[in-house]
Amino acid sequence: MVDNNRFIVSHAPFRHDGSRISTRNYNIALAALPAILLGIIYYGMPAVGVISLSISSAIIWEFIFCRATKSSITIGDGNAAIIGMILGMLLPATAPWWFVIIGTFVAVIIGKQIYGGIGANPFNPVVVAIAVLMISWKDIFDFNEALINYDFDFAMVYPLSALKHFGVSAVDSFSMGDLLMGKQSGGIGSTFGLGLIAGGIYLIIRGIIRWEIAFSFLAGIFITALLFNMTDSARYAGPVIHLFAGYTLIGAFFLATEDSSSPVNFIPMLIYGAGTGFLTVLIRNIGVYVDGVIFAILIMNLVNPLLDKIRPKAIGRVA
Amino acid sequence: MKSNKELQIAYVLAIILLVVGVLSYSAFSAKTPDQPVRLMFKCVAGKVLFDHKTHTAESGYSISCSDCHHNLEEGETKPQACGECHEAKSQDEDMPNRSDAFHSQCIDCHKEGGAGPEKCASCHVM
Repeated sequence: MVDNNRFIVSHAPFRHDGSRISTRNYNIALAALPAILLGIIYYGMPAVGVISLSISSAIIWEFIFCRATKSSITIGDGNAAIIGMILGMLLPATAPWWFVIIGTFVAVIIGKQIYGGIGANPFNPVVVAIAVLMISWKDIFDFNEALINYDFDFAMVYPLSALKHFGVSAVDSFSMGDLLMGKQSGGIGSTFGLGLIAGGIYLIIRGIIRWEIAFSFLAGIFITALLFNMTDSARYAGPVIHLFAGYTLIGAFFLATEDSSSPVNFIPMLIYGAGTGFLTVLIRNIGVYVDGVIFAILIMNLVNPLLDKIRPKAIGRVA
Repeated sequence: MKSNKELQIAYVLAIILLVVGVLSYSAFSAKTPDQPVRLMFKCVAGKVLFDHKTHTAESGYSISCSDCHHNLEEGETKPQACGECHEAKSQDEDMPNRSDAFHSQCIDCHKEGGAGPEKCASCHVM
């Protein structure tokens, strides 16, 4: 008997539209390029060293892991290279070589491969690695100490560190324009706000990252920082410094949006982004860490599977 | 693009960047400038970031070397680092500890100038 209400979906094969993971990753690399270039202009060859070693060692770790487990070599998809690149962007230009190599080991092997490789990692591999490095060697991650010999025409005090230790008056001198133009101390590729925003918008237009996550993250930071600021403006800085200093922008466009550790549905994406922004400001304002982006993303990565349980109502019904 | 080509790109990228990375680290290691720009004093009470350049530069406080580096001989241009004599725990009674030396140096001068931080946490990162 034919049931007219039943909708029959055919089996594979379906037509492949030719898109490849590698193309997505090449686009991410392209989007990150302006921010990296400005970092190299400021910090010179040491920055080139960190970024180059980070990308190459990430690829090599994945290659070694694939050979060791006798699985097919997956470095061609470009994911290892992207992990290395983003990790390098977050490091200070003076990071020692062994520090970079340990970082890429944690990111690629512990952050990704042991879960089954690309798409199976519950946490953003780069964020896992940075969290481990940050807690283990906090002096190398103290940008004030790491970049002590660099002399530019702008204040080389890490804005979030000044804010945490010396209060709101210490960050009065940072203007939004300077922060956007990368005139601040920080990681190699995480200070050029305008470049990161441009890269992020490019990725959104190409459909590689989801605007819902990036924008709700920034909105979460803006609103939480504004609320703190309104309750006590002498103790808590306004939203501008929270939005444009530290890892905020690289977090919004390159870290929080990582595919397998972020939700896929509309409402969960908004909650995930806003929650990350909220936690970031909470950690910065009342936590012990100078920057909260890394730990906020890790916590929300943890919540991600639960958030994705909020699903749109299925169309039709199962017979 | 076929996966073979992708794999080749990854191999080439890994090798080239490894060479560039190793070269940058070995040949262009960050040099310490002759005169320090900033110094990070580490101590149990929290680190202190000292902006050496702002204190010495003409556009800054324009303090001469010998004002702080008090053992500088006439005509000598390379002062010793403070920590060379002022050790963390001095055995010599006539030689102040590093923390005492820094405290008196910084606080006295800032008091004289009638400006500057007064609370511990204004210098020490706590």
